[in-house]
Amino acid sequence: MVPLQSQVLLPERIAGLLGLSGTVGQIVGGLLGAFLIANLLLVQTAVAGPWAKRKITAAFTDRIAVNRIGPFGLLTIVTDAVRLLSKELIIPEDVDRPSYDLGPLLVPFSALLGFAVIPMGNGIHLADPETGLVFAFAASSIASLGIVMMGYGSNNKYSLLGGLRAIASNIAYEIPLVVTAASVVVFTGTLQMSEVVAQQAEPLLTVAGVTIPQWFAFVNPFAFVLFVIANLAEVGRNPFDVPEAPTEIVAGFQTEYSSVYFVLIYLGEFIHIFLGGALAATLFLGGPAGPILPGFIWFTIKIWAFYLFTQWARSAIPRLRVDQFLDVGWKGMLVLSFANLALTAIIVGVIA
Amino acid sequence: MSLEEPEPEDGAVEVLPTAGDEIAELLGDLVVDREEHVNAPGFVIRPDAVQETLTRLRDEAGFDHLSCVTAEEREDRYESIYHLTSFDDRQREVSVVVPAPKDNPVSESAEPVFRTADWHEREAYDLIGVEYDDHPDLRRILLPDTWQGHPLSENYDQDRPQIVTLSEWENPLAEDHREEEGDTMYVNIGPHHPATHGVLHVKTVLDGEQVADVDPDIGYLHRCEEQMCQTKTYRHQIMPYPDRWDYASSGLLNEWAYARAAEDLNDIDVPEYAQIIRTMGAEFCRIASHMLAVGTFALDVYGDFTAIFMYAMRDREKVQKVLEDLTGQRMMFNYFRLGGVVWDLPEPREEFFETIRDFLDDLPEALEEYHDLITSNEILQARTIDTGVLPPEVAKSYGATGPVARGSGIDYDLRRDDPYGYYDELEWDVITEDGCDNFSRLLVRLREVEESAKIIEQCVDLLEDWPEEERTIQSNVPRTLRPEDDTEIYRAVEAAKGELGIYIRADGTEKPGRFKIRSPCFSNLQTLPEMSAGEYIPDMVASLGSLDIVLGEVDR
Repeated sequence: MVPLQSQVLLPERIAGLLGLSGTVGQIVGGLLGAFLIANLLLVQTAVAGPWAKRKITAAFTDRIAVNRIGPFGLLTIVTDAVRLLSKELIIPEDVDRPSYDLGPLLVPFSALLGFAVIPMGNGIHLADPETGLVFAFAASSIASLGIVMMGYGSNNKYSLLGGLRAIASNIAYEIPLVVTAASVVVFTGTLQMSEVVAQQAEPLLTVAGVTIPQWFAFVNPFAFVLFVIANLAEVGRNPFDVPEAPTEIVAGFQTEYSSVYFVLIYLGEFIHIFLGGALAATLFLGGPAGPILPGFIWFTIKIWAFYLFTQWARSAIPRLRVDQFLDVGWKGMLVLSFANLALTAIIVGVIA
Repeated sequence: MSLEEPEPEDGAVEVLPTAGDEIAELLGDLVVDREEHVNAPGFVIRPDAVQETLTRLRDEAGFDHLSCVTAEEREDRYESIYHLTSFDDRQREVSVVVPAPKDNPVSESAEPVFRTADWHEREAYDLIGVEYDDHPDLRRILLPDTWQGHPLSENYDQDRPQIVTLSEWENPLAEDHREEEGDTMYVNIGPHHPATHGVLHVKTVLDGEQVADVDPDIGYLHRCEEQMCQTKTYRHQIMPYPDRWDYASSGLLNEWAYARAAEDLNDIDVPEYAQIIRTMGAEFCRIASHMLAVGTFALDVYGDFTAIFMYAMRDREKVQKVLEDLTGQRMMFNYFRLGGVVWDLPEPREEFFETIRDFLDDLPEALEEYHDLITSNEILQARTIDTGVLPPEVAKSYGATGPVARGSGIDYDLRRDDPYGYYDELEWDVITEDGCDNFSRLLVRLREVEESAKIIEQCVDLLEDWPEEERTIQSNVPRTLRPEDDTEIYRAVEAAKGELGIYIRADGTEKPGRFKIRSPCFSNLQTLPEMSAGEYIPDMVASLGSLDIVLGEVDR
């Protein structure tokens, strides 16, 4: 089997290729690596946002969607980008300036930050700290701060309600999310992402000559389901799109944003969906592992699969009411995730 | 009315005077004078005896439905007419006429007896200028608060400019700060909001996420429809306007409301063949309208970009195509004429029937899909069951009709209770649900689509076998209609949203002296505060969606 994870991280390899070493090599390699990864994601987001989302939704609703510009309407991405960026940036009266402006910046960059520790296969892995998993969750949580800043800074009551709902949803669903992730950590005994992925490459069992790897989605499917559901809430898609809820509170925290800020918020949302998919893939689906195709392709397929799932949910499932949403979080997900953690701990303790 | 129908109609007129005398006996010396309207006996009472009269009629004679309040200015007096009927027996009708002097047009409010009078009297005050004593909240309703004069009153000067500077307008944000220490928050929902289905402005006071108070503010789409109809001739010029009341594909149903009132006023018969075409067209409109209602309701509950809305639009589109074939138009049909319809079914007839049959064959499967996607979805049930509760007594008091009333278990449908067209010859059922909640109203609409399909199928069967030489689409109607002076009629039909009534007073000319539209959406929308007090915002939005209002009809 080809090793999924080269031991050399991306910055070091770039430094090596450039013939640099020492601190300079680290800095240049790190910057270039970060630039590369950020662009990889931004390109995927550009495809996902103006084009794939429309195509997928259209497929669910028996429509055709964008098909005028370029092959399959792909150049819509370009025209939409130009259109959105050339719109007037309307800043309402009496907004709370620093927070109104910083919010839209925090959202995409917090999500991008989370990708620093995600192993994407073929050596595309920016950093591999021992606390990788915690770092990813911590980074993605910064987005909540951005949303609160937007909700509060917009000087709009719908935004305020949206901001409050976003905080409530983050508290209610991040705990089950992290606790479920912790049940994986009970198996692995480490928070280091490369190690989590490496352990999942071990064979679980062999059926008729086909070796099934020890992906945690197979080992503990219950935890996987919990994680994916909590993740839906984390990225704010139906049935949990309560913080936005366009038909109730008119897109909540984004009501007052236009032009570039709007683009930033949308970028952030999509990168967040991808980060959610990346975490699910890394923790439960063997990271970049998969037969035949290179690791990075598999990784991309997995995060896109999660993206497709969010769009499916959005097309087919009604939105919960805000109190029901919190009930599901606190009374359902939290209890189940702790039960899962305790059971996993007991089983692992007994077996080990 | 078909050729056969005038007989029972005449019979009913013969019975009514006795009923009228009984009512007169019941009211005793409250009655100052008697009038005879085409549809009902009228009793003139003193302006300070409105509440007593209406209470007696409601409690002792079973007139529990204040269908409409019409106000008008006559040469020597102002007049408010309360059109009362009964939910149990729609054909029992009575008009209570309340004259008020010219110099001081004040009469007692009916609001304490019938809650629905609240908005109806506000409208009368706004447009005609009658003032109502004891009314809890006598403000303008359709026109801006700063409007000068009452447009439907006799001496209103249309040329006088209405110049109101912005600073004189009530500042909608001012209320925002009315209570510095309060825990509630004032939010303007609309007039531009994704869930208001048009230009409705809901002044909402929130306590956290819950609704403490709701005040719908209407009139943004007021187009003077009543006044426009008063300046047009009966024969041809009024018919295009009804299409523009409930413009969300209910055109033929609205046209029928005018056609019914005007035909009864002028004693015009409608050939049976035309009645069947009318019935079929009207039911197609009902299906289209309910599809839109279900689709947008799903939009309100599910959020944007969901499948159901598109599916509903897809099926509505098929109906639109049939209606386009039939009438030549997609929305503004203008297909009915007094005494019939404008033209026969499109040729080739077989192809037209084939299209309809294909649609009817596919419909059960489509409805099954809706039930899979919507009504059997547990999250949707959690969202809609026991939210937006409207108890039957409250619904009756507010004059709610249509699917809103039937979703509260009120067995009331004008197609059956006050038959017109060809409905009483066909096999179909009135749908009711006892849940009184948003879910019931949704179910009623979905099930009514099935009933409409049944009606259409029977109509198609009849039309297919109709002998070619007997296809009379219009009866012989004089070119100019001049109903006798002072004839008054109030007639209603079952539109997609409920009881759509028209009051016409003839003044001896070829144009109506007073043309009043009783819009079902107007009455239904009044129940919103009742349904949403104490509920969460999402439930208020869902309730608004379940009322299925079209602002063109609310504001007229």
